[in-house]
Amino acid sequence: MTLTIPALRARSARRRRRRPLAVSLAVAFLILLTVAGLLAPVLAPHSPDATSLLNSLLPPGAGEHWLGTDSTGRDVLSRIMYGARLSLLAPLGVVLLSGVLGIAIGLLAARAGGWADAVISRGMDIVFAFPSLLLAMLVVAVTGPGLTAPICALAVSYTPFVGRVVRSVAIQEGARPYMESYRVMGFGVLWVTLRHLLPNVMPVLIAQSALAFGYALVDLASLSYLGLGVRPPDADWGSMISQARSAILQGEPWSGLLPGLVVLLTVVSVNVLGEHIGGSIAGKREGS
Amino acid sequence: MKPTQRRRTFAGWIGRRALGGVLTVLIASILIYGALRLVPGDPVLAVTGGRRLTPEQIEALRHRYGLDRGFAQGYLAWIGDALRLDLGTSLNYQTGVTSLIADRLGVSGLLILYSALLAIVSGSAVALVSAVKGGPVNRVAGIAAAVTTATPTFVSAIGLLALFSVGLGWFPATGAGTGLADRLWHLTLPAVAMALVAFGVLARVGNAAFTEELRREHVEVARSRGVGGAAVIGRHVVRNALAPMLTIVGLLFASLFVGTAVVETAFGLDGVGSLLVGSVSRRDFPVVQGIALIAVLLFVVINTLVDLAMPFIDPRVTVGGPSR
Amino acid sequence: MRVLAKKTPARREAPDGGAGDRRDALGVSGLSLTLGTGVPLLADVTVRVGRGETVGLVGESGSGKSLTARTALGMLPRGARATGEVTVADVDVLAAGRRRLRELRRTRASMIFQDPRASINPVRRIGDYLTEGLRARGVPARAVAGRALELLDQVGIRDPGGALRCFPHEFSGGMLQRVVIAGALSTEPELLLADEPTTALDVTTQAEVIALLKDMQRAHGTGMLFVTHDLDLAAAICDRVYVMYAGRIVEESTGSGLFGAPAHPYTRALLEASPSVHGDRVAIRAIAGRPRSLADSPTGCSFRDRCPLAGDDCAETVPAHRPHGQSLAACLRPGQVTP
Repeated sequence: MTLTIPALRARSARRRRRRPLAVSLAVAFLILLTVAGLLAPVLAPHSPDATSLLNSLLPPGAGEHWLGTDSTGRDVLSRIMYGARLSLLAPLGVVLLSGVLGIAIGLLAARAGGWADAVISRGMDIVFAFPSLLLAMLVVAVTGPGLTAPICALAVSYTPFVGRVVRSVAIQEGARPYMESYRVMGFGVLWVTLRHLLPNVMPVLIAQSALAFGYALVDLASLSYLGLGVRPPDADWGSMISQARSAILQGEPWSGLLPGLVVLLTVVSVNVLGEHIGGSIAGKREGS
Repeated sequence: MKPTQRRRTFAGWIGRRALGGVLTVLIASILIYGALRLVPGDPVLAVTGGRRLTPEQIEALRHRYGLDRGFAQGYLAWIGDALRLDLGTSLNYQTGVTSLIADRLGVSGLLILYSALLAIVSGSAVALVSAVKGGPVNRVAGIAAAVTTATPTFVSAIGLLALFSVGLGWFPATGAGTGLADRLWHLTLPAVAMALVAFGVLARVGNAAFTEELRREHVEVARSRGVGGAAVIGRHVVRNALAPMLTIVGLLFASLFVGTAVVETAFGLDGVGSLLVGSVSRRDFPVVQGIALIAVLLFVVINTLVDLAMPFIDPRVTVGGPSR
Repeated sequence: MRVLAKKTPARREAPDGGAGDRRDALGVSGLSLTLGTGVPLLADVTVRVGRGETVGLVGESGSGKSLTARTALGMLPRGARATGEVTVADVDVLAAGRRRLRELRRTRASMIFQDPRASINPVRRIGDYLTEGLRARGVPARAVAGRALELLDQVGIRDPGGALRCFPHEFSGGMLQRVVIAGALSTEPELLLADEPTTALDVTTQAEVIALLKDMQRAHGTGMLFVTHDLDLAAAICDRVYVMYAGRIVEESTGSGLFGAPAHPYTRALLEASPSVHGDRVAIRAIAGRPRSLADSPTGCSFRDRCPLAGDDCAETVPAHRPHGQSLAACLRPGQVTP
């Protein structure tokens, strides 16, 4: 039994324009992680690989190990900080790679049109039919564990998300009169595309990239958790959790739960940020 | 349009959709088969991965993959066998891939259904209640959905394991149990761990759909006619939000299938998912190919079924309209 | 010059401002509505609809006319508080509980909304919509089906049997509004609230739907509150008309009296702002300023910041309704012509 009152709607719109607390927290957390990862050699209290069987499986807050130690006595905090490097860098690679691939394929499909467009779109549907983690495992089965192959596989897997958006925007914008006038004036197709189409696509792409970053982080961490991702001595958060499996069954779950919590918070932050960007783009579209 | 004519276009439409699905599976199967050929060097060496094999066995493998033939011939032989439900022989177990998968389908199938049921029931319930109540309830539900959506399955798995099995001892930490009741008891935590992400997605999508439908004028009109609250929700809100919900449920099944890999590993279950993980790390390629093929088939079949159901759920979706 | 229409019954010559007698289809008296946040929406609204009478409620968007109509069904904005008195066919709406309101909506009052396409659930069949009110009342399915056919026939839909099985998107807007009218009258209500029932339709369809609405209303003996922004339309089909501005009734008059001698400057301005085919006015004058809501209107007379006649005295208090010719107008200088 609710009616919409214009005054109320205006008020909630005003509230939305202010940056919500959640977004500020998310940004702060992501900056913190980045700094921790970049400056790990300076900031980390211990070496991430220093084992000590006397100090194994210490709970958080125990003496000089703030977040405790794992089953071989390595400092969990230091390992989380070092782990941030691969854990954040690898998904970034996926996002960049899929962005480049998606823009190329989307523009190609929009430009070519006709049956080429149909084939490319069908191809994107087929890639879409592979769950990303499955595709990554398929590739790992061929190449063996490691991060390079899964990064490429995930990039291919996420390409349709970017490609579809780019294709639809390119077709939409390409039909506008100004595009025709550029063409008549003799500007090259590539120039027009780079100069006028990409800026139109960019805001949507950035919002989507943030979400894709979250997915990629989860997929890659899952692979490492399953023992199919990073190879020792390299470590990311997923492999830390994987190594904590027996400790969890012994009732000492901290060395697994803490990196898990970091993964969770990172993904939440990235999602919050991505949705905020996406939401403000939608708001601007409505407003104009 | 005459009824007979309409029926004919409908049949044609079903045919086109089914054909599209078959095409997708076929091309995907070429990719799955072709992945082996992408390996630099001798594919057989990559597959066997240092395992000691006699020259006869290697030769048998070459023949098995059709590596002694051209790509097309090899693929046709493989897919032909697959159509006859013969997915080849496992390198590790030395038994048929089909029976390896079939033996584990009981655990994994039950796990998928159990967790889908949990996710669908709880996700739609939370979506509906939060959309109807609004205010603080809606905000709390929104936060819960955002957090569960972002929780990787392996993180929720170890969290549940640490709390409910090791900590409180309410549920077993490993094994699938015997007999239906015992099995359900064993599968509860894995199912919950797997359902969490799906729950979050459904709660969010459902909340958006229900909220949008609640705002529609026909809902207010129904209330202005003295139709009871529950009837309004059921007939005019839930019914209208069914289409987007069903689409999401269709997509979720594929992610649940892959989710078994993580959950079965975490909870020590002997299912298709842990078979996949083991086979990937042991490079037991025939098994990986078989499971991948089944996953794609499952995805395509479920989504085609959802597509086919759409005109019955929303009469505005015209049969024979654009395919996407 | 004042032209008296013959159809105006003598007893309505002098409009009454009170809640009216208990037999009225709708009696709204001294209704004020405030949101939980303290934002006022309606102030001291008094509207009466007799049995079988057609009463217009005219105003710009945001004037509170739709809100007044919805209040008659107990459909208040979330968190709003209402004071005053609202009775529909002897039921005290503001005091009624959930059950009593539902009962009221099922049996005594129906509402027709602006856009028929939005009013009918797109995924359910026409028959389902038509009979929903009756089924909510507990009428058996067989009787409901028969009644639905009869109603569709009455509103002039060919092949009623086939229509029942159609989906809304297979119908035109005009046809759908006929279905909505049939649905509204299916429960034989004593009060029909029509909220801009023709605004969303083509001009040609509008006339048909209005004619049908009047016919049906006459045949069923229903009292009708006709909410519209179209003053000419209201004057043409209504026995009496209320003009609303910024959450208040500023003038009440007979339909014909409104045209002949609008008393309130706002009514006059509205008439001059709308192009007319039957009048001899030439210039169309837009009303200066922006329409106000009650919350941001000035003290005293809400219209004074846009009124050409306004003086300092207008700011003191909200003017009381005073008779002027056939009207009651809330104005200190009723009937004066703009200089």
